[in-house]
Amino acid sequence: MNIEQAKEIVISAINDVLEGKAEISEEMQLIGGVSLLDSMKLVEVCLALEDLADEHGFEFDWTSEAAMSKSRGMFRSVAALAEEFANQSEV
Amino acid sequence: MIIVTGTSRGLGQAIAERLIDGGEEVIGLARNTSGLNINAIECDVSDYASVKNASKEVKRMKKPVTAFINAAGVASMNMAVTTDESTVQKLIQTNLFGTIYCCQLFAPIMLRQKQGSFINFSTIAVALALKGESVYAASKAGVETFSRTFAREMADFNVRVNCIAPGPIRTDLLRGITDTQIEKITSQQVIKKQFQKADVCDLVELLLDKKASSLSGQVLNVGGV
Repeated sequence: MNIEQAKEIVISAINDVLEGKAEISEEMQLIGGVSLLDSMKLVEVCLALEDLADEHGFEFDWTSEAAMSKSRGMFRSVAALAEEFANQSEV
Repeated sequence: MIIVTGTSRGLGQAIAERLIDGGEEVIGLARNTSGLNINAIECDVSDYASVKNASKEVKRMKKPVTAFINAAGVASMNMAVTTDESTVQKLIQTNLFGTIYCCQLFAPIMLRQKQGSFINFSTIAVALALKGESVYAASKAGVETFSRTFAREMADFNVRVNCIAPGPIRTDLLRGITDTQIEKITSQQVIKKQFQKADVCDLVELLLDKKASSLSGQVLNVGGV
């Protein structure tokens, strides 16, 4: 999966969780004070990405040690999460 | 499906057998599964990678997990000054880290379901600050604090987290403890008697019952403090 496909999937997942109520940009932060997602919604996004990864034939592991150790990075932005999603699709 | 750790002996085994008798499908997690007469996955709870593999295996079963019972544990009754370093590490690694690993790695299954219950195990030694159990009690105090906090994190997802804190239940963990020592402990409980594994199994069933749906973030001290 290339990064553009991953971005499309991640944005779609966030959009679903936010019920289309916000404009999603690649730079949008996923954690922290300015994030549109609270912790519950962030978990919902991760669970949705698990399902979408399953449809694409790979496992998206958002609890992996590697992902967790740089979790602030992974959730730094939509683009960063998409990058992690794309990376895991290649494993 | 209910997952129980430490099913090769002691409380874990008793709880698994009780739940199976009650018609539940139980998956045991144990370091050594050979000879076990229940469905079990080999797992060392003190090893993050091992717990991770077990969680993946359970996830692939694609069955709802209604409860996860963290019954695996080790004990050492010693004064802190006579407890060697490896024992300190083993107690913290198995009792505290093991509980945390299991909770954090199995939680996503329940988060997805928006339903579930974790039961973790502490000890009455925490509330009573029992002399000669400082490191063991410290590891379990960590479990209590983790559980109370984790309960708040899980509450929005309709997942409950509670602790059972038994007194001196007759299991392998109490090897070498004399009746006099046991009486010294039970005399500090509200109900001054030694409870049995069956009493703890009763509490597990109570916490799993729908009637306990208002209980989360609680520590049930067996015998009372």
